This record gives sequence, structure tokens and C-alpha cells, in this order.
Amino acid sequence: MTATDAPGHLAIRGLTKRYGGFTAVDGLDLDVARGELLAFLGPSGCGKTTSLRMVAGLVPASGGRIVVGGRDLTDVPTHRRDMGLVFQSYALFPHLSVARNVAFGLEMRGIGRAEREARVREAIALVRLTGKEEHRPAQLSGGQQQRVALARALVIRPQILLLDEPLSNLDAKLRDEMRIEIREIQQRLGITAIFVTHDQVEALTMCDKVAVMNGGRLEQLGPPLDLYERPATPFVASFVGRINQFRARAAGGIVGLGEARITGAGPAEGPVEVMIRPHRIALRPASAPVEDAEGRLNTVAGTVARTTFAGDVLHYEVAVGDAMIGVEEATRSDAGPVAPGTPVRLSWRPDDTLLFAAVARDGRMRP
Amino acid sequence: MDERKPPLGLILLALPLLAFLLAPVLITIPISFSADPYLSFPPSGWSLRWYRAAFTGGAVLDVFATSVALGLVVTALSLLIALPAAMALVRLRWGWVSAIESFLTAPLLLPAIVLGLAILIVFAPLGLLATFPGLVAAHLVVTLPYALRILSTALAGAPLAAEEAAATLGASPLRVFWRVTLPAIRPGLAAAAALCFLVSFDEVVISLFLTGPRLSTLPVWMFHHVENEADPLVAAVSVLLIALTLVIVLVVDRTAGLSRTFVK
Ligand SMILES: Nc1ncnc2c1ncn2[C@@H]1O[C@H](COP(=O)(O)OP(=O)(O)OP(=O)(O)O)[C@@H](O)[C@H]1O
Ligand SMILES: [Mg+2]
Repeated sequence: MTATDAPGHLAIRGLTKRYGGFTAVDGLDLDVARGELLAFLGPSGCGKTTSLRMVAGLVPASGGRIVVGGRDLTDVPTHRRDMGLVFQSYALFPHLSVARNVAFGLEMRGIGRAEREARVREAIALVRLTGKEEHRPAQLSGGQQQRVALARALVIRPQILLLDEPLSNLDAKLRDEMRIEIREIQQRLGITAIFVTHDQVEALTMCDKVAVMNGGRLEQLGPPLDLYERPATPFVASFVGRINQFRARAAGGIVGLGEARITGAGPAEGPVEVMIRPHRIALRPASAPVEDAEGRLNTVAGTVARTTFAGDVLHYEVAVGDAMIGVEEATRSDAGPVAPGTPVRLSWRPDDTLLFAAVARDGRMRP
Repeated sequence: MDERKPPLGLILLALPLLAFLLAPVLITIPISFSADPYLSFPPSGWSLRWYRAAFTGGAVLDVFATSVALGLVVTALSLLIALPAAMALVRLRWGWVSAIESFLTAPLLLPAIVLGLAILIVFAPLGLLATFPGLVAAHLVVTLPYALRILSTALAGAPLAAEEAAATLGASPLRVFWRVTLPAIRPGLAAAAALCFLVSFDEVVISLFLTGPRLSTLPVWMFHHVENEADPLVAAVSVLLIALTLVIVLVVDRTAGLSRTFVK
């Protein structure tokens, strides 16, 4: 892979879409480096598809620029943008066979018959549909159609590949395989790609960078690890991974939580949102010593309210003052679940305490 | 096409209705094989003389040729005009689209006799009476609304996303139309073509105003013939027309699927 060129291979500047008075995408700014896979991650209706369609030129932008390899494509029609798009709804050609669907882009590019057939065969094999070449889309399952759409976009080796939830209709096993497959193809061909998803696991596991969107705006752009460990907003913290969230008050850098005093990175004064990932909290007997060898200096006392066994992990809900804190621990063969009603001590590292200036009102743990 | 069998009760109910509707049409069949020199039922003897007369008498063949040529030209022009119009109506989504559509389909609501008179008044000073272009223009007034309706419905059901996909794969708007849109609306096109042809071929009222001794259409010629002669020749011609209509309908059914195109 080549080094990142500046600005990115794909540069999006102030991209905006308004429908009447409603702003579906609001001033999107981001760069995707050559050969990079970027995820658009966000809840339903946050503007992911709209952004992607503007990049592909299928909906006119209300404002902003789209630049690929230094060339401004904002006013270039779709068919001259050289972008592969895998549609959320597949959008296969119903009157053409699988092979003809996949061959379509190559025909449009005037590629000779021999090469065309070889590339179509290869692309169909890639998405494991060999043997289905002569089927019509209506004769395929949803997952198979999705794979035809993928093959059709990949076979043209576009400069930019846009994927709109391309795996949403596959079963878990096939989805895992296709994730690896897409990532492998994308890296091998060095394609610059945007991958739309509302599945955070998909975004975190596959992509070089993740752009978290909410209500048409970019909340945060960064590598998966940054997003998880250093979320810029409470929205990102709660959307990427599971997290406890409750409101408290900070004074002089110390946050009061029931009887306890805890510390963390964030605003030093005023009302704050305290956010802690459930598996970063250790649950110990109330009688255990307060000192902790691993630096878990934030400590609160509470009572187990609920215990749920989920195979790999145990979920606890622990009442601390009037807040309810979720804790997740790996199951062990040498210790059973802690029964509800047991007084316990929760402790975690100050670094794992995320503090944000308080905005929304929400006192419960987010899934 | 749907393979379900209708319930027996429905068939029993439909059969008499069908017989009632078809009886007058079917009665022309025995009459067409009559040996009598005048229209009567039942005929006193059987022969093929009226079919022979239809094929050898110059007048029938002339007006038949005119009607076929007229039907073909009207059909071609109807599709050529209605297709872009339907594209604009369905795809551009202007606010006043439904007003345009009502305006374009209005001729269907006017009594044909009024339409015929109006066209006569407009065409007379233009020298279009009893001319082929005049007939074409008049028939277009009637066929265009049908073509527009059917093609709009077909286009509204065309896969928009597939068209967008074709564009991302490098197809220019024209190629998107040829490669994706056109195949999707092919049944609609076939239906519109068949209907335009049949409507034009069948048109009497308006044509009555526009034809003359020099130029006539088959239905108008039949109308005048019955007035003057009352021989079974028209019955023989009618049976030939029924056969032609059936052939067209069958061809549409085989190529596009009748229930798919008409029953929407
Ligand atoms: N043609 C349109 N007219 C008006 N509003 C629209 C139009 N298209 C999209 N929107 C609105 O824009 C917002 C963003 O839609 P978009 O399809 O981009 O969401 P998304 O993030 O892709 O959601 P999902 O995950 O459900 O696919 C939605 O609120 C939607 O209602
Ligand atoms: Mg979407």
C-alpha cells in the first residue's frame, strides 16, 4: 500500500444534502487515503446512504465538493466517476443472468470478450456463486443476490468502491467469511473504499478508519481503537461498544458518585456524564482490600441487583447509590456467579473513566 | 402468469355472460359463409363466395391496406411521442405533472362525435380532410392517451435502482435506457402498440368526418357498405377482422404476457 497522499485520495469537503427544510447530511468533511477502507457507522436514518449516493453522483449535493485524486468530481455525472456501488437493495438487472449482470460494467467499458469472460468467471468464483451463472436474480436468495451485486461492482476494479451495507442479508457465518473476503480483495487491489454499516463490529473489525455519523453530522473520524478508547462524544462512546452512562457532578477534578469519589479524564467542574465500559470494571467481595495492584483506584461499594449468565461472560447489575452500574466479567471455572443481594466493591482505572460535559438526560446503561 | 384455477361457480357464472357478450359477434360467422345475396339468418345455403368477393373486389383490399398502413403509422408515432412524454411525467416529478397528465388523457373523456366534429372544423381550412396525414393526426388524438397511460404505468414500475446501478457501472443515460429501462418496459410497449393499432384500426366515428370517396378506412367502408348493399360481404370481412384481432392479441400474449400487460 502506498503512503497516504494529502489530501486523501477521496476528499469530501462540506458535503451537505437538504430535503426541503430537513438537512439529511450536514457539512461532511473527510479524507480517505488511497487503498484505505473507511466505515460510515451510525444509526438508521443518520445520512449514510445519502452521503454515499452523493459521492457516487446519484443525488445532487446541496453543497460541498467531492474530489478524487485531485480531480473535482462534484459536477461529473455518475457514469464517468468510475465508482463501484453495492446498493443496500442490490439493484440487480432483473432481466439479465448472473453472468450478464456481472459482465455489464465490463461491456460498458468496451472490454473484449475473452478478457470479459475470464474476469466475470473470476468475480463469480470470488463471491462463491460458481454454477449459478445462468440464473436470473429472481431465482437467487437475498444473500446470493447481495453477492452478485458485490461481484458486479468489484469486477470493474473501480477507483472508489462504495458499499452500502453489503452484508446485511447474509447469515452470520457467511457474513464473517465475506467480511474477510471483501477486506482481502480491497487490500489486494488497493481499492479506496467506503463501507456503510450500522453494525459496529463490522466497522471495527474490517476498516482502517471509522467515521461515526449521527443526525447527518460527522461525530468522530478515527481508527477503530481511538474511537473505542478515546471517543470524542458521549454518542460515540455509547454507539461503539457497550458502556455505562450516568450523570454526576465534578468539582476540582473529583467526581462524586454516591459516597465515593472517583477521577477520570474530562471536564473538572460542573455536571458531567460519566461513562465506563462494563468489562473494565472489576467486581470483588466488599471485604476485599481497597488497594489494587493494577491501579484500579476508582472504587465504589454497591449491591448486586441482578446476575445474568451468558456463557462466555457474566453480566451483573450493581446498585450504587441510586445509579445502576453494569459489570461484565469473564466466566471462570474456579468461581461461580455472585448471587444477587451480595455486597460488592467495584473498582476500575481512572483512565477507563470517560467524562463528558453533561448534555442529555439518561441514567441507565446502554446496550 | 397466475396458474390458479378459478372456482367452478365463477366459471358457471361467467359462461352465460360471455355467451351474451359474444353472441352478436359469433352470429357473423355463419352469415359470412352464406350463399345468399343478402344478409339473412339462418342462411339458406353455404358457400365461400363472400370471402372470394372480399379478396377479389378491389375496394375491400384498398381500404384494408389504408387501415393497416394507418394503424402502423399511428402506432409508431404514438409510441415515439408517448414514450418521452411518459419518461418526463414519471421521472421528472414536477409538481404540476398530474395536471399535464389529466390534460393529455382528456380526449378519452370527450364523446368521439364531438371530437370528430371539432377535428373536422380545424382540419377543413388546413386542407387535411380525406388525406392520410389528416387521418394520422386525428387518430393520434385518440391513441396517445392510451399509449401514455400504459407507458407511464410501465415506467413507474421500472427498477429505478437498477438504472442507477447501470450508471455507476459506466452506462451513459442513453445506454441505461436501452439496456435497462427498455427491457423492463417491454411488456408495456407491446401492450401499448397492440392497443394503439387496434384502436386506430377500429376507429369509425372520427374517421367518418375525415374520409371521402378518395380515401377511406376499412370500418368506414363497412359502415357505408351496409347502408347501401346489405350483402354478407361485411360479415366475411368482419370474421377476417376478428381473426386478425385474435392474432394480434395472441402475439402480445406470447411475447409479453397479456395479463401482465393489460391487467395491472
Ligand atoms: N428523497 C428523500 N426525500 C426526503 N428525505 C429523504 C430522502 N432520502 C432520504 N431522506 C431522509 O434523509 C435521512 C437520511 O437517510 P439515509 O437513507 O441516508 O439514512 P441511512 O443512514 O442510510 O439509514 P439506514 O441505516 O436505515 O439505511 C433520513 O431521515 C431520510 O428520511
Ligand atoms: Mg441506508
